[in-house]
Amino acid sequence: MRIGLVCPYRWDVPGGVQYHVRDLAETLRGMGHHVEVLTPAEREESITDPDITFAGRTVPVPYNGSMASIQFGPVSAARVRRWLRDGRFDVVHVHEPSTPSVSLLVCMIARGPIVATFHTATTRSKMLVVLGPAARPWLERIAGRIAVSDFARRVQVEHLGGDAVIIPNGVHVGFFAEGPTLTGRPRGADGPTIGFVGRFDEPRKGLPVLLSAMRTVVREHPTARLLVAGRGDAEQLWSLVGEDLRAHVTLLGEVPEAEKAALLRSIDVYCAPNLLGESFGVILIEAMAAGAPVVASDLDAFVTVLDDGAAGVVVRRDDAAQLGRALADLLADPVRRAELSARGSAVAARYDWQLLARRILAVYETVLPAGGGTVTAGPDDDVPGVPPTGTAARPPRIRRGHR
Amino acid sequence: MTSEVWLLIAAGVLLLLLVWAGWTLTRLRRLAVRVQRAEAALDAQLRRRAGLAEELARNHPAALGEETAERLAAAAADARASRGGDRELAENALGQELRRLSSDLPGVPAPLRTDLAGTLTRVALARRFYNDAVRDTRELRGRRFPRWVGLHRSRPLPRYFDIDDRIGSVTKDADTAGRPAR
Repeated sequence: MRIGLVCPYRWDVPGGVQYHVRDLAETLRGMGHHVEVLTPAEREESITDPDITFAGRTVPVPYNGSMASIQFGPVSAARVRRWLRDGRFDVVHVHEPSTPSVSLLVCMIARGPIVATFHTATTRSKMLVVLGPAARPWLERIAGRIAVSDFARRVQVEHLGGDAVIIPNGVHVGFFAEGPTLTGRPRGADGPTIGFVGRFDEPRKGLPVLLSAMRTVVREHPTARLLVAGRGDAEQLWSLVGEDLRAHVTLLGEVPEAEKAALLRSIDVYCAPNLLGESFGVILIEAMAAGAPVVASDLDAFVTVLDDGAAGVVVRRDDAAQLGRALADLLADPVRRAELSARGSAVAARYDWQLLARRILAVYETVLPAGGGTVTAGPDDDVPGVPPTGTAARPPRIRRGHR
Repeated sequence: MTSEVWLLIAAGVLLLLLVWAGWTLTRLRRLAVRVQRAEAALDAQLRRRAGLAEELARNHPAALGEETAERLAAAAADARASRGGDRELAENALGQELRRLSSDLPGVPAPLRTDLAGTLTRVALARRFYNDAVRDTRELRGRRFPRWVGLHRSRPLPRYFDIDDRIGSVTKDADTAGRPAR
């Protein structure tokens, strides 16, 4: 099958949607399909893979606490059109098409089966409230909708007026399950270790809560260490850590994927103290795939991923005392850790990309027209050069007998 | 003078309405195509399911048990023959028969079992996508403006297709396809 994937966010900036598209493309290629990706990027040079097409630069705007990429205009539209014509895809799969991005452009221009995946799970997005109805006429073209979680599906139902099947984010389970540890020594050989991965200077990731919980932990486990991996301002972190904890915290900084996997295989407990705004929690699945028991705050998405709390320890968010207690107890109880680790591995297996890619393929197969036929680009004047306004500010094209 | 201004305003409003009507018509036409395609896909998957059930009943009565095989064959034939609202009932009955089969089915070749499992998933997906298209169409046709102007009035409103396909397996977060229905 020839598949075209569209990522609306900059390819050379780390992000959940980008990883999702990358991993899906990889897995589908491994199954023998031809997959191409269309994506914006910060710098055109950073895209070296011939199967990835540069869609232009984006204008970042604040959106949902982070930055969204806005991309619209005749130049981008021309790029999309060329990509669709050259690609001759059987199906085009766009991601997050409800913002004015290259994904929405593809929805406007492409003629043929379109599948869309919705990632956003926040219901308080002003942008979605304003732009959702405006984008709707074009979202109506989507033949099959996928949401990555029940929360993402709810947003879809409430703001965009459609339903979706749920296919969660995936993880390459094997990549995390097997491989060396950070030091080459088995898990637990270097004293009790807790891991944290994420942007540590973003308050919503909750590292300050974990740091104050660490004070409880080191009282009971004087050799306990916290490994922090991720991007952020190191100065700020150390000032937050304080003198008393300095010896117990190791900052690894931004690490490549392989090293992140090694970190997750090394630690005794993975901690996700996030305060809000996680739509899924891929990192939890990665930790479980690597066999690390998980302690996480009680965000809806985390509780769901942890099988309603059966596959990990769930604590009240922003409660350092309870978190410290949970971490200290778990570090003292190897039997419980082994139990959680086994259950976590079983849960992670359900999110393996091999399995999920097959389900996504089933979606493609369902929307493919019986007689075959490829996705094409619509006529040139079909797309306005300005963001859609919801009302028709342009004469409609009337097409007959052409699809 | 003023009458000319009014005339201009009226012409402007009329033009705007015309443009809007044209745009809405385009949308409705697009949705009609989508509904039609989704219906074709759903129909194809349902036929495939009936075909596989018949094959199962015909070639592997020993694995199912004579009585179950007969019931399955009857349900499949019924599902094939039914039209309209009856079809939902017949497909439901077939779905029930298929769900009642034990999950491993000793003696049935693996390709047939995989095909059947895949088809059940695709039936659920196709039904959901079809209903989604129907919902979009009904929503747009139900709006005030298209109703007043009578856009697509002569066309029948598409119907939802409701059967119990244990859609939980495609809507639940994790893969529950292999687990018993909750």
